[in-house]
Amino acid sequence: MMLLRRELKIMLRSPAGAIQSLMFAVMVIALFPLAITPDPSQLEPLGVGLIWVVTLLACLLAADKSLLSDYADGSLEQMVLSDYPLWWVCLVKSIAHWVSCGLPLLLMAPLLAAMLAMPSERVVWLMASLILGSPILSLFCTLGAMLTVGLNQSSALLPILIAPFLVPTLILGTQWATTGGEAFYGYMLAALLCLSLVTLPFAMAVVAKIAVSR
Amino acid sequence: MLQIESLSCFRQDRHLFKDLNAKVLPGQALQIVGENGSGKTTLFKILAGLFEEYEGRVITSDAAQVLYLGHRYGVNDQLTPIENLKFLLQLNENQLAPDALEAALVRFQLRAELDEPCASLSEGQKKRVALARLILTSARIWLLDEAFSALDAPGRAVLSEVCQAHMACGGILIFSSHQAIPEFASAAQLRLEAGS
Repeated sequence: MMLLRRELKIMLRSPAGAIQSLMFAVMVIALFPLAITPDPSQLEPLGVGLIWVVTLLACLLAADKSLLSDYADGSLEQMVLSDYPLWWVCLVKSIAHWVSCGLPLLLMAPLLAAMLAMPSERVVWLMASLILGSPILSLFCTLGAMLTVGLNQSSALLPILIAPFLVPTLILGTQWATTGGEAFYGYMLAALLCLSLVTLPFAMAVVAKIAVSR
Repeated sequence: MLQIESLSCFRQDRHLFKDLNAKVLPGQALQIVGENGSGKTTLFKILAGLFEEYEGRVITSDAAQVLYLGHRYGVNDQLTPIENLKFLLQLNENQLAPDALEAALVRFQLRAELDEPCASLSEGQKKRVALARLILTSARIWLLDEAFSALDAPGRAVLSEVCQAHMACGGILIFSSHQAIPEFASAAQLRLEAGS
């Protein structure tokens, strides 16, 4: 708990990173109708996909912020050497990423959906798909950040490296919401969440050990 | 007790060091000496357990907890000195007396800055925040990589007092320094030669 408290404290004192990715998402959705068409009948079929893509990109944008500072000031080394299991440290990093990026977008989603003239029953499914999907995005983004931290040009490498792994989540999430909650996609998304929740923290732990030995 | 047996390390196809041997008993200090780039930091990382690609053996007596302070010492800019110190200590210790934190920082002459974010502190002051951890830690083996640099004379004096107290209690001190530290002039030295 004390690791998580520290993450949240740091985040609240330097909220620029979280606000930046949120602003990015809101701006894209706000500009889209202006640039394409304000016609609700044309916007409506695009809504779910747009919000999902924007969520994914915002998560990528925020991926390495907190990890970079932990790496640069040496906190990451100290966390690797701590008595806490390393997978737990990595899971906390993912949770902090979700709280700073996934959660605000989730709360903002009804507003974004309204800007794209989305019918209300679809908003419910959109929210459901984001609730299951955004933690998966956060886990993968943290893994990617862990892989590239300490490398030159890491912020350029990160999206290329990790985007392919986000695609299944994107497909399942958007399909689930656009089909109005077809059970298959929901189960698959939930399964993906469980799978990444139990495997990725351990993968991150291995990667973190390599990152601090560089 | 900490023992290094025929320790060799390659890094980026280069022999950093080869066949190092050393033994440090409780209450003793060991100074790592070497030019820039001779592998001091890598040796510290090996001893701390952060770097595992080496040959040879590092033996520590069981349950001897290790504390490693490197060039980057884990002080976050957004947190205050107290919060940083508390976090760093809690990584390895269970119980902490709340006023002990403040006392440790005051000993390192941080008094006015206790409630400011560390971003407003100077580099030397941030280092003192990390060093205050030494006063409260229960770790028996200290690995201090260049801990004496970036400190002013009073800071160095406090640090060597703390280190001497640690050794008097049977602790092990392994440090590197480019300056001569008079208090540890008698410490054993381990010299890293630029490899081939």
